[in-house]
Amino acid sequence: MKFAIVQFPGSNCDHDAYHAARHVLGQQAEFVWHKDTDLRGADAVVLPGGFSYGDYLRTGAIARFSPVMGRIREFADDGGPVIGICNGFQVLLEAGFLEGALLRNRRLKFLCRHVRVRVEETDTPFSCGAAAGQVLRLPIAHGEGSYHAAPETVDALEANRQVVFRYCDAEGAATDGANPNGSLRGIAGVCNRRRNVVGLMPHPERACESALGSEDGRVVLESVVAAMAAPGAA
Amino acid sequence: MTLKPSVFDPQGRTIVEALGSMGYGAVRDVRQGKYFELDVDAETPAAARTLVTEVADRLLANPVIESYRVEVDGEETSPPVEPGRRRVTRMVTLGD
Repeated sequence: MKFAIVQFPGSNCDHDAYHAARHVLGQQAEFVWHKDTDLRGADAVVLPGGFSYGDYLRTGAIARFSPVMGRIREFADDGGPVIGICNGFQVLLEAGFLEGALLRNRRLKFLCRHVRVRVEETDTPFSCGAAAGQVLRLPIAHGEGSYHAAPETVDALEANRQVVFRYCDAEGAATDGANPNGSLRGIAGVCNRRRNVVGLMPHPERACESALGSEDGRVVLESVVAAMAAPGAA
Repeated sequence: MTLKPSVFDPQGRTIVEALGSMGYGAVRDVRQGKYFELDVDAETPAAARTLVTEVADRLLANPVIESYRVEVDGEETSPPVEPGRRRVTRMVTLGD
């Protein structure tokens, strides 16, 4: 299958995603400049991490108006799998693909370390290869990762099983101590109602090889490879 | 523009705690925000307000977490500016 990896000015995890898709998983991958509107026949779209537009105004606020976003909207509306990682998650929230917003971390510090997340839902194209409740050890690197939404929005997300990843400890318990940034209800990643668009703050693409300290992120990208190979896949 | 009252503002919290340690215990709360000055081509203050409100809703503010207030120079008091002249509009975001 083929991944399209979107490059905004200021993206800096685009090559990490490319490396994971191409060299670790052995799939096709192509960069797509944010001014392009051609996804080059990709089967899945990755909005990578970084600091698009220098995080000016708000994280992701300006990138959402890039020409490629209109095309990605059509792709997602057709059921195509889209994943936003870190800054890519921020872009998806600003663009309204996903609900909520990301605030400054509760202790105002840029956090760069490994955390654990629990896979809450396995019926998305980016978690179908994982077991429900599986604990993944993934790196985070963000200053604005505190997930926020109105209480009724969060209740609806929970009721519709749209919380896909939640911060947890090594035993899988979603405690406040395991919540690195003050995210509401420890939310680390969510999906849309249709479940084909997923966003998360941790970086699975940087955790695909043991040399990088963890291979736990592979399951996220391998999930979409399996989903695309399954009979009846789009 | 500030974060909505329902949204925790860690920067404002840090500032109010610093003020408390400096002896300014009378300052009970601080909300940190952003301030924009827009130089707008508009015939009337009302037109400037309409345009800036649209811009605020579409780009400057994220309604999920932020609220804002718009102030237009000369609104209610001054006559319309001549065509081609500009009107300065301030957008201050405050708690809703």
